[in-house]
Amino acid sequence: MTTASTPPKEPEDPRPSMGPVQRPRKLGRWMLFVVMMIVAVIMLYPFWVMIYTSLKSEAQFLAGSGFSWISWSSLTSVIPIGQEVLSSTIVCAASILLILIVGLPAGFAFSKLRFRLSTGIFLVMVSAMMVPLQAILMTEYVNVSRLHLTGGYTAAVLVYAALGTPFSVFLFSTYFRGVPDELIEAGIVDGLGYVGVLWRLVVPIALPAIATVTVLQFIQIWDDLLVGLFFIQNTSDRPITVGLAVLAAGRTTSIPELMAGSIISALPAMLVYVGFQRYLVKGLTMGIDR
Amino acid sequence: MATVSVNAPKARRLTLKRRRQLAGVVFALPAIALVIGFIGIPIGQDVYYSFTQWDGQTATWVGVSTWTQAFHNPNLWTALRNNALLLLSVPFALGLPLCIAVLLHQRVAGWRIFRTIYFLPTAISWVVLGLVAERFFAFQGTLNSIIHALGFSHFSTNLLGYQSEALLALGITFIFTMIGTNTMLFLTGLATLDPSLEEAARIDGAGRWRIFRNITLPHLSRFIQLAFVMTVIALFSALFSLIFVMTGGGPGYATTTVEYLIYQTGFNQGDFGTAALYGLILFVITGVVGIVQLRLIGSSE
Amino acid sequence: MRSFGAVAATLVLAGTFFATGPASASAKTTLTLWQNYGTEQNAVATTNLVKAFEKLNPNISIKIVAQPGTSYFNLLQTSAISGTGPDLAVMWTGVYDLKYANDLVNLKGNVPAADLAKMEGLQWEAPNFNASKGAYVMPLETQFYIGFYNKALFKKAGITSVPTDWSQLLADCKALKAKGIQPIVYGNGGQAISTEFYPWYDMSYLMIGAHSLTSWKGLYDGSIPWTSSANVTQLKDWATLEKDGYTNSDVLTNTANITQFEKGKAAMMVDGTWDTAQYTKTMGTNVAAFVPPYSVTPIKGVVEYPGDGFSVMKNSKYQKDDFKFLDFLTTTKAGNIINAAGLIPDISGLKTSNPVNQEMLNFVTVNHMTPYPMMDNYIQVNVGNAADSELPSVLAGQTTPLAALKNMASAWEQLPASLKSSTKFSG
Repeated sequence: MTTASTPPKEPEDPRPSMGPVQRPRKLGRWMLFVVMMIVAVIMLYPFWVMIYTSLKSEAQFLAGSGFSWISWSSLTSVIPIGQEVLSSTIVCAASILLILIVGLPAGFAFSKLRFRLSTGIFLVMVSAMMVPLQAILMTEYVNVSRLHLTGGYTAAVLVYAALGTPFSVFLFSTYFRGVPDELIEAGIVDGLGYVGVLWRLVVPIALPAIATVTVLQFIQIWDDLLVGLFFIQNTSDRPITVGLAVLAAGRTTSIPELMAGSIISALPAMLVYVGFQRYLVKGLTMGIDR
Repeated sequence: MATVSVNAPKARRLTLKRRRQLAGVVFALPAIALVIGFIGIPIGQDVYYSFTQWDGQTATWVGVSTWTQAFHNPNLWTALRNNALLLLSVPFALGLPLCIAVLLHQRVAGWRIFRTIYFLPTAISWVVLGLVAERFFAFQGTLNSIIHALGFSHFSTNLLGYQSEALLALGITFIFTMIGTNTMLFLTGLATLDPSLEEAARIDGAGRWRIFRNITLPHLSRFIQLAFVMTVIALFSALFSLIFVMTGGGPGYATTTVEYLIYQTGFNQGDFGTAALYGLILFVITGVVGIVQLRLIGSSE
Repeated sequence: MRSFGAVAATLVLAGTFFATGPASASAKTTLTLWQNYGTEQNAVATTNLVKAFEKLNPNISIKIVAQPGTSYFNLLQTSAISGTGPDLAVMWTGVYDLKYANDLVNLKGNVPAADLAKMEGLQWEAPNFNASKGAYVMPLETQFYIGFYNKALFKKAGITSVPTDWSQLLADCKALKAKGIQPIVYGNGGQAISTEFYPWYDMSYLMIGAHSLTSWKGLYDGSIPWTSSANVTQLKDWATLEKDGYTNSDVLTNTANITQFEKGKAAMMVDGTWDTAQYTKTMGTNVAAFVPPYSVTPIKGVVEYPGDGFSVMKNSKYQKDDFKFLDFLTTTKAGNIINAAGLIPDISGLKTSNPVNQEMLNFVTVNHMTPYPMMDNYIQVNVGNAADSELPSVLAGQTTPLAALKNMASAWEQLPASLKSSTKFSG
């Protein structure tokens, strides 16, 4: 709350001598609240549109008014939504796992285990952060199909992991820079070996950073369309974003159904955020503040 | 900082350093391999394919003709211009969340709920956001309904219907989507700011603005840089989905960015040689932007 | 032809769900068929054709898979590269099947010649548009790009006969507007959500008005440049429709044009046969067909063309069974199923039961209009793509005809020589 800058002697006296400090502050806080509410309304607008639109039938939607649950109930017969959500989950989980497995040691290495050329390599890797998929889409696809990886989820997981690794390495190394060297030295002296140091000492304190990476990558991978569209050839392995794209690209698109599907698709990401929220704040803070 | 005594033989210290270096290499190797394999090599292949006529299956060498044609293609320059214009939205995508975060930091009643609400749109897929935005900006869409209701019918817009204005609609939508992440980032940063610093300055008589400029902002610089990085990354990759759903690159080529042009040239026209060249150009652009960012971050360490 | 650009209707996806169930029980071979249909008619036709075929061939079952319309060909191509593609696939004809010819199996020798001869317009599916060389696609139906009009609204404005040239069209539009009726409506209804209206229905007729069928070759090989004055004039006249207020003002962003036409909010619309059944269902006898009269002299050509069908993919391991299905498409039984779905069967001699569709067939057989191909299936894909982006803006008055045509011409310039030559065309 506010720091005590008013004399504590007359806290409830609304006399003019106190006025200039207390009343504008109260008025200010009310105005602030109103502004926050306005912003909240704006930010919630897409949800409002999604919910409002999904609670109509197609005919009602075109007519502009009406209320119906039918779009929700018909959704499952239009796309195999349960299966697709499952696919998305598997792909996300596997990709994030791979990113963590690969990124944690690397982040540790670049921040604490300096070796020759490590700074240079780090710079190159981090600049790879910016490479958008489109720049390498076709060549990537050709490579992956020559390796016969396009069957199930393999190709997509590898591509997602590769795309997410630079940023994660960047975050992890920034975070680990704050870990005291003495801790590591002590671990070595105790005979842990670097693997032990990493696993037993560093990773536990890295949980906030792990949470940050997990949340950010989850949202990015869950919402991605292109990789899921091209690299998962098996239609029964399709993720939810592709399923929605199939719905959206139609002349007989039922917008209410599309919105219902979108809400379902948005839920997991929201849940992940709310669940990891506490760690997220810590992760970003400690990582950068050092 | 070794705990070994000074009298230990040199051989032992060397081994320690070597062990550390070895561990470093081994630990970093998987990440390096993954990135080289799935990002580095395709970029190299882009270089090769840019000198060919490639339909996805067979590539015939044609030398520099792809390059010369590409640079004579007016659509490429339009796309580059569009990317540059969209970069202009980045200051807004940083400034607006900064203001919101500062306001939230005042700890109004229910600020935690507000914080969660502001972040929630991040969870919505860009495809859906594009759909919502498309309906918002449409000629018979929500924006115009609001304008009519407020009595300003004269100002009704058709942003998506005009080549000169569609990019604006796209930019606005992009800024909207970045508000959640960046606000959360800045709010986190503000939370780490020691309030006693602010207090001391206030007692010294410094005005609000001076406090903000000389104390708050410098402290937030790391966070601003991280937000900058994430925003630009989103601008060059996630924006594609928005364009895909909102405008299809149009009207005309007004909202076609280089990423979208790659997709169009490659997949719609089957001209993957030229698409590889565009991919290379895109990589150079993002590489340059990335290095500039790193310089900025590195300089303040 | 990219009028479809669309994806699974409820029925087809529901059909997909069920098709996988019972099929696995009794079938010996399972074929996979990819489709990009969103039109209820085509999707219904496909499902019913598959059902009938499976009844006649109990040891073959076909699994229909719906792919997103906007990426359909990308997916087909990438699946061909990785060898994970389908056995049968919906394929568009003309330059589309030529573009993917390397992945398709020629029907010649695989489907009995007598059956092939029953299909009309087969040259458009053939290498170099020469029917003697076989074909890559078995057409599903004959399609028209055509204009639809509302009879009651025409009567209200005192229009007694459909316009046959520019001046009559403008006069009719004026009469409609005077009665408070919107003459023509444009929109992207039927396209994927973010795209603009598909300009090729109009563009085909603009080019019919400007060039004879044999001259169309010139547009392909560059002997008639896209920027020629005839083309510029045609586009200019087309743009005046919007400028003079004879169309809706949001041509680029309107999504409800089909509904608006059905509800009688506009008198005319340029569309295709995939919507005929829908219009006759909602408008009954009030809807009729006319030929868009984008010509100074009375228009003499109509776009009649087998726009899509099915192809056998080279990667398929069951080509014999695939061709059995394609052969089935030449039978009268198949023709009846196609007709029942509101489409015009492509099999010669068969009639269509939809009166408006029959009107269109009469344009050719009774009025002796020249059948033209769909221009977007005829012209090189690069040029087509440039036109997709530029031409709608011409109508909206945001770019000049010359600027748009210049963009198309420069797309043409960048083609390799092999794609610019029309010497092998047989007509």
